[in-house]
Parts: sequence; C-alpha cells; structure tokens
Amino acid sequence: MAKTFDIVVPDLGDFDNVEVIEVLVAAGDSVEREDGLITVETDKAAMDIPSPEHGKIEDISVSVGDTVSSGDVIGHLTIQVTDTVVIAPAFKHEPTGDTTVLSVPARPAGEPQRTGRVQTLVVPDLGDFDDVEVIEVHISMGDQIQVEDALVTLETDKAAMDVPAIVGGRIESVLVKVGDKVSEGASLAIIEALVGGTPTTAASSAEEPETALDTPPAVDAKPQVETPTVVAAKPQVESPPDALPPINEAGFARAHASPSIRKLARELGVDLAQVKGSGAKNRIRADDVKAFVKAILTGKAGAPAGGALPKVPSVDFAKFGEIELQPMTRIQKIAGPRLQASWINLPHVTQHDQADITELEEKRQTLKGPARERGISLTPLAFIMKACVAALAEYPKVNSSLADDGKNLVYKKYCHLGFAADTEQGLMVPVIRDADKMDVYELAEQLATLSAAARDGKLKADQMQGATFTISSLGGIGGTAFTPIVNAPEVAILGVSRSAMQPVWNGSKFRARLMLPLSLSYDHRVIDGAAAVRFTTFLGQALADVDGLLEGASR
Amino acid sequence: MTEYSAQLVVIGSGPGGYTAAFRAADLGLDVILVERYDVIGGVCLNVGCIPSKALLHAAKVIDDAAAMADQGVRFGKPKIDARKLRDWKNDVVGKLTGGLTQLAKQRKVRVIHGVAKFASANTLRVDIDTTVTFEKCVIAAGSQPVMLPGLPDDPRIIDSTGALEIDPLPRRMLVVGGGIIGLEMACVYSALGTDVSVVELLDTLMPGTDKDLLRPFLKIVKPRYEAIMTATKVVGMRPTVPGIEVTFEGKDAPEIGVYDRVLVAVGRRANGDQLDAENAGVNVDERGVIDVDNQMRTNVPHIFAIGDIVPGPMLAHKATHEAKVAAEVAAGEKSAFDARVIPSVAYTDPEIAWVGVTETDAKAQGIDYDKTQIPWAASGRALALGRSEGFTKLLWDKDTKRVIGGAIVGPNAGDLISEIGLAIEMGADAADIGMTIHPHPTLSETVAFAAEAYAGTLTDLYMPKKR
Repeated sequence: MAKTFDIVVPDLGDFDNVEVIEVLVAAGDSVEREDGLITVETDKAAMDIPSPEHGKIEDISVSVGDTVSSGDVIGHLTIQVTDTVVIAPAFKHEPTGDTTVLSVPARPAGEPQRTGRVQTLVVPDLGDFDDVEVIEVHISMGDQIQVEDALVTLETDKAAMDVPAIVGGRIESVLVKVGDKVSEGASLAIIEALVGGTPTTAASSAEEPETALDTPPAVDAKPQVETPTVVAAKPQVESPPDALPPINEAGFARAHASPSIRKLARELGVDLAQVKGSGAKNRIRADDVKAFVKAILTGKAGAPAGGALPKVPSVDFAKFGEIELQPMTRIQKIAGPRLQASWINLPHVTQHDQADITELEEKRQTLKGPARERGISLTPLAFIMKACVAALAEYPKVNSSLADDGKNLVYKKYCHLGFAADTEQGLMVPVIRDADKMDVYELAEQLATLSAAARDGKLKADQMQGATFTISSLGGIGGTAFTPIVNAPEVAILGVSRSAMQPVWNGSKFRARLMLPLSLSYDHRVIDGAAAVRFTTFLGQALADVDGLLEGASR
Repeated sequence: MTEYSAQLVVIGSGPGGYTAAFRAADLGLDVILVERYDVIGGVCLNVGCIPSKALLHAAKVIDDAAAMADQGVRFGKPKIDARKLRDWKNDVVGKLTGGLTQLAKQRKVRVIHGVAKFASANTLRVDIDTTVTFEKCVIAAGSQPVMLPGLPDDPRIIDSTGALEIDPLPRRMLVVGGGIIGLEMACVYSALGTDVSVVELLDTLMPGTDKDLLRPFLKIVKPRYEAIMTATKVVGMRPTVPGIEVTFEGKDAPEIGVYDRVLVAVGRRANGDQLDAENAGVNVDERGVIDVDNQMRTNVPHIFAIGDIVPGPMLAHKATHEAKVAAEVAAGEKSAFDARVIPSVAYTDPEIAWVGVTETDAKAQGIDYDKTQIPWAASGRALALGRSEGFTKLLWDKDTKRVIGGAIVGPNAGDLISEIGLAIEMGADAADIGMTIHPHPTLSETVAFAAEAYAGTLTDLYMPKKR
C-alpha cells in the first residue's frame, strides 16, 4: 500500500526565508530516511533538509535560489505504508489512514499459517519501576517477529532493558512510541500469533508460542483479554523473584542501616554486611546500596561502595564562555562505566608491533573483484581476524578469562571474535561466533552483516555477547599506534592502525614494504610480557603468509 | 453450596488478618476475609487488648484517685456499677469493630463468616455449605487460651475472655498464671475491689523478663494483693457452694483456698491444628504452630501464615507487621519481615515495657553489653506524679556504642518504649539519643538521661567515673 505525502520544511529554529543553495534529489530517486533532500543556508550555517522516510521522490517543487520557511511544502514522497508506522513529524498533511496503524494489511500469499489469535503484548513485571520511558521501539506494523525478539527498549534510572516478545507472529499494530511512559501491564502491541511459521523458523515457532501461552495456569480460567498481564507476567529469562536471594542474615542484622534502607536492600538482594556506609558513623544510606549494585553490575564486584577513587574536580564551564549541554547516547552511557571498570580493574600493558602485509594486500587486491561479484566485500579486517584465530589457537591463554575467584583461568574451547564498530550511537562490539570455523570469505560476510546491523541499531543482545577476544581496527581512519582498553572479562584486545609503506632493512638493503601497526593491550594478571610479544610476533608471521590465511577458503 | 473465588483469601480477621486483607486490597488484589465469629477484629479487638485496656483505664483512675489521699486530695470511696462499666467497654469494642467493617467495605474486601478449613491447596471450605477457591492464602487464625487439663466445668472458672465480663464482681479471686495477661486482669480486679491472689508455677512472675523490672512492680502490688505465690502448683480444684476450693503445693502457699472466681491464664495455644492444613500440604507442628520464612511463606509457597499462629511472641503489633509483609509478597513485592526488635508491654500498674536485647537474653547468649539506668526518683515529672518507683535502663553494644535494648518500668512505660525501639532500628548511639532534645518535664527525659549517662554528659545525676 503506497501513499504519497507532502514533504515539508521542518522547524528551523529562529530562521525564516532561508535560501535553497542546493537540490540533492530529483523526481524518481529512491531515498532513505535522513537522506538529504535540499540544502539551505542561513546567515549562520548551511543545513540539509532530510527525508522523513524511506521512499521514492515524486517531485521536488523548489529550486536553487528559492527561499523557504518552516512548514513550506518542498515536494512529495511516496512510501510504503506497511513498512512504517511512525509518521515523521515533517509530514504536514497526514492522509486519513496513516495513523490508523491498527488496520490489518492484506497478507501476501505463501506466508505462514497463523492462529488468528490476536493477542496483546504487554509490559512485564518491572520490579519496582513504574512510568518507565520507552526509548526505542523495535517493531513496526507488519513485522514478523519471533519469540524473544525485542519489542521495545525501556529505560529506568538504573538500566535500559529490552522487552522481549512472548510469542512469535506478525505485529498487527504498535501501541506505544518513543517517549511514552509505561508501567507493568501496559499494552505495547497487538500481535497475530504464529502457528506454522516459515521453514526457517518452524522449529521454534511451532512450539514456543504454545508453551508461552499455556504455561501460566491462571490463563485458562479467565478470558484472554482480561488477563494479558498473567500471560506476559514473567517472560524474562530470569525467573520471577518469588523468593528473595539468600543473604548473610547475621551480618545484615548488624549493619548500620535504618528500616527503609534494609527494605531497599532486600528488594535489590543486597547483603548489607558487604556495603560500606558513607553516612555519619558509617551509616549505610540508600545511595550506598545503589552504588554497591552499580559496582556489581559494572563488574566491580565487591568493590567498596562510595568509591575510594579521587574525583575529577567539577568545573563551571559556563564561566569561561558559551556552552551547550547534549545528552550522551544510551550506548555511550552503557559503554562508559564498562570501559572505566576495565581501565580501573585490569593492569593494562600495550605491546606494539608491525606486520608486513605487502603480499597480503597484493593478493587481496586480486581477490577483491571476484569476491565482490559474489557480494562479498573482502576487507583487510577479515584477514586480520583469520590471523587472530590462528594466533589464539596457538596461544589459548589470550583466549581465556580470569575466574571470579581470581585463582583460576577459564580456558574457552570456542573462539568468538568481537570487533569494535563505530556507530552514530557510539561504540558497539558485535561478535562473530565460532570465527575459528570460518574462512576469510565467511568472516568478511559476517563482518558486513553485523556492521550493518550495528549501524542500524538492529543488533540483538546475543550478537554482542560471548566474545573471547576483540579487535579494534582504526586503520581505515588513520593513526600509527594506540592503546585500546581490554573488553573485560576478556584478557586482550588487538588495536589496528593504518598501514603504511616503509623502508624495511632486509639484511642487505632497504625495501618498500606495506607495514601494518598492531597494538595488543592485555591484562597483565593473566598474560606476561613475553607471551604477549610471542603472540604479536606469531600474528605478524601469520599476516605475512597470505596463502596460509587463505588455506581451505572457498573461492 | 455457595462458591466464591478470590486472588487472596485471609483466614481470621484479627489485627493480622484484617491488616493483610486491607494491605493486599490496597495493592490491587481481590480479597476475601473469612472470620469464624459474627464480628471481625479477632481476639485483640473483641476479647483482648482493647477491652482489657478499657478496664485497666478504669482501674487506673480508681487507684490514682485513692493515691492522692497522701497528697491531700481525698475522694470518697468509688461506687462501682460493674454493669455500666462493662457496657462502656463493649461500646468501645463496638466502635472499633464497626469501624473495621467500614474499612473492609471501602476496600471492597468481601467478608465471609464461618469456620474455614482447607479442602485442598487452592480451596477452602467455610462451614459446610461454602467453598472459596483462591490463588493465594494468608493464615491468620490466631490462638486461644489454654485451659488446664482436668478442671471441673464451673462458670466460676474462667479464661481471659470470661474475665472481661466483670459483672458480677467477685469478692475473692485467684489468678492462675503470673504472666502478662494474668497480671493485667489481677490489676483490674484489684482496683475494682476484689481481693486478688496470684499463683505461678515458676519461681518468678512474668518468666523471662529481667528480674529488676519486677521489683518496682512488686513494691506496688504486693501490699494490695492478698497473696502472690510463686513456685507454687495448683494441684486441684473442687467446686463447692461458697466457692471453688483450690489446693496448692508450694513452699509459701496455703494448702487450700476458697475463691469465688478463678481466672486461668496459663498461656495461649496456636490454632494451627484446627484448619485441616494437611489438605493443603501445610506443615503444622505439635503445638499448633506453622513455621514460615522471612517472607511469611509456609512450606507451601502460595500459602502464608502470620500472627499468633507462627513462631514468636503472640502480639498484635507483631501480627500487623507480618501481615503487611505477607500481603506485599502475595502481591508480588519483594518484602520481608526485617524488624530487629518487637516491643513487649505489660499494661499493669506500674507498666513494664521492654524492647530489643534484655539482660536475660544477653547473659544467655553471651552478648557483651554495657548498661545505664536512671531511677525515676531523679525525674521531676515522676515525682510530680507521685510515682518515683520506676526506672529506665538502656543496654549498649560495647563496640559500636549503639543501643541494643531497653526497658522501662513506671506509668506510661508502654508509650515511652517506642522511642527506644526507633533508636534501635535506626542504629542510634548514646550521643544520637542524648543530643536529641527531649521536652522537660516529661518521663521521656529519662531515656535521654540514660543515653547521656552512657555518653558521659549527664548532669541530672552524679555518676562517678568508671575509669
């Protein structure tokens, strides 16, 4: 179902009658959401007017030299209504039907069987939180989703969490939008539950909706509509907090904490005997309990609450000139404490080295074209990964983790490679599972898929978990060396900078070689210096031997 | 057969039961309250705390009036209309139970009258013709007075419930059992003019209480009571025309005494064995007690138990707190019973109240403690009341200097003890309490004095330095 909308100039702040200095699209062009359509210039700056949606440009009614203001129609865009639910604010006239997202789109032939059982997906038990903000909506009308797929992301003052689907099926309508505040039991979406399913999802969808619907005994007794909360009550992996976690009762009873603080601690499962109070006479305050929980969540288990670290002095920047406050993105807010935890807790050492990739690069250039014909972008990173897999197999300690007790090493019989992806939202680390079972081409494909998902914010939680070693490649941007921070509880991370032609002495003369700078940061508690150098040396040799890297690869 | 169903059913409408029902209703649960008697409120409201306190108030007015003779205010001998006094007491009870019924209505808590027994883990049978199916249940079925075995069936032999029916007043009464309930009723009847004797099997009254707390009490009551016989056993009772003939065995006791009323107050027994709890799989021990975890769950996770029927002191204020925990957990909250201390009060004259660690506990458990004690003779207010026999004592943790227990003897001790309870829960130390300004002249100052004594800042008494 395609519909045509007016494209209007969004709110430009204080500016009116700004001049169009460039028209970036023409009738018939396909545009993505946020693609620039025209560029306007004020006396302060030039800016692009972005496309409000993915679709096809019907016409653009302005040309260079025209002046436009907020609300002016500058053209028309045709979009597929089924593809999108959220109508961007830049549309001025919403034809009737746009917002009636409840309407069921016609089902194309050949789609899986449905139960026809329309169900409301609701917010599950959120613990003590009410009125939690929806910060992301992952579903749109018509989406096919599976059990456990994230519906929305909610953010409390403590954490962000995804609300997973309890049944698979097709989203009939989405009932919330970003910015809404929801509480337990609030309706999120209406879904037509799936029975049959496509061949790829047959296994899960055939069984899971059944069990998900039938498990809570209370449902049968009452009409479906009345008790959606019961159905969705506990979809999370974690079982409901039926019983409180066991704590050291004797120590708890002696802790210097008032009844309200003890109640809070019980709710959060905090053993007050382990919490240091920051109040007068070491009284435990609510903030101490929260700090304790935060410390555990960020991996600083058992770290004293209140923080013994000296604080960076706070400065009133406005005293020195104009400032602007911008909130950090959610990813930044999540990544920040984790990076800090790693930096504080792990004794970092960084080993620098260079690998000769002259031959690798020559070979890659010859393979790149044929690979592209198969739809594969054969990047240097895929080769670096292949080399890392070999090095990790040779030095399994680099693939290990320190056990919680600090007395054992956990050797992992699998090799999942994380790679740092720079996205608009911030740093993300998608994970390629079982990288050791892939050839260079497969690695390259995975890299492309996961990078795209990261950029689009479509990574699922399990696609960011379980890495045993991480690679941070900044080579595409530049630099000669850097000290990456280990992605704890991993014990090492490889930083890659930009390769450069260098004169290399081969014993009799200088030769021009393409050298790739490698920077391996490692947890010195687990890896000693000699082992680190052996690892980077091995890595360098592996990268120099391109045929070895390509061994077994299907061309 | 009438059938009901509810998310939560509460068995028993005493302070524990109605609190659980109301709290759960406030948290959004659909609640049914089952009560075996015609009025809700349980023992506390109907035949316990409240009516006994009404009578104790009358007793106190009578005693205080008489005591003023020494200070130059002489009243005539009071004329006691026992029937009118009883009606007033019943009025007080009626107001409270009526209020409760109203509270239940406002919360849409359905009340069913009848005797509840478990038919299964999710069904109750109430009397013979009603079933209630439930998702969760709170057992708050309380306790009842224990009667001595082999007693003759005679209306002159009564329990604590009967003791509240003061009309007609006996001339000579024996109280069997020197615990709090027996001593409170002894207090009432003595003030109303009855000659009271108390007999206790153990060698002390209020067994378990610190001995020093009893001294000021005994100083007041000994001259008033006909006899206080400790370490004495009642070996027989025989109804005769003039009265109940009681035979004793004990060093200070007469062989025989004849009383026109005998109050048996030897303890209470939990009602756990009256519920057919085995049909729900709930464990009940041989004393009728149902064991629970700190979330008030029985061994069957969706069935909770609170109040007299679970371990711990049989006190209404314990039951109400347990009730809130049970209701909150039933509603999905992560509550737990976390109170550090539960105060105990004997509403005798003088009142005796204690909270937290007692010296008896401390000695038994090997807790190393410090103690400070302020005699009420040092309190201007106590002297002005003509009551200087009492004292306030606080026990302290030697390491943290925090208060861990306290006891007060004297008028209004039951009201004064709350501050010490709060101090313990908050982890207050001597300076915290001492530096909190207490109004002058009040009895509450004695708590501050006891704290100042420990902090070394007390000026109202001279305390030689220890070291």
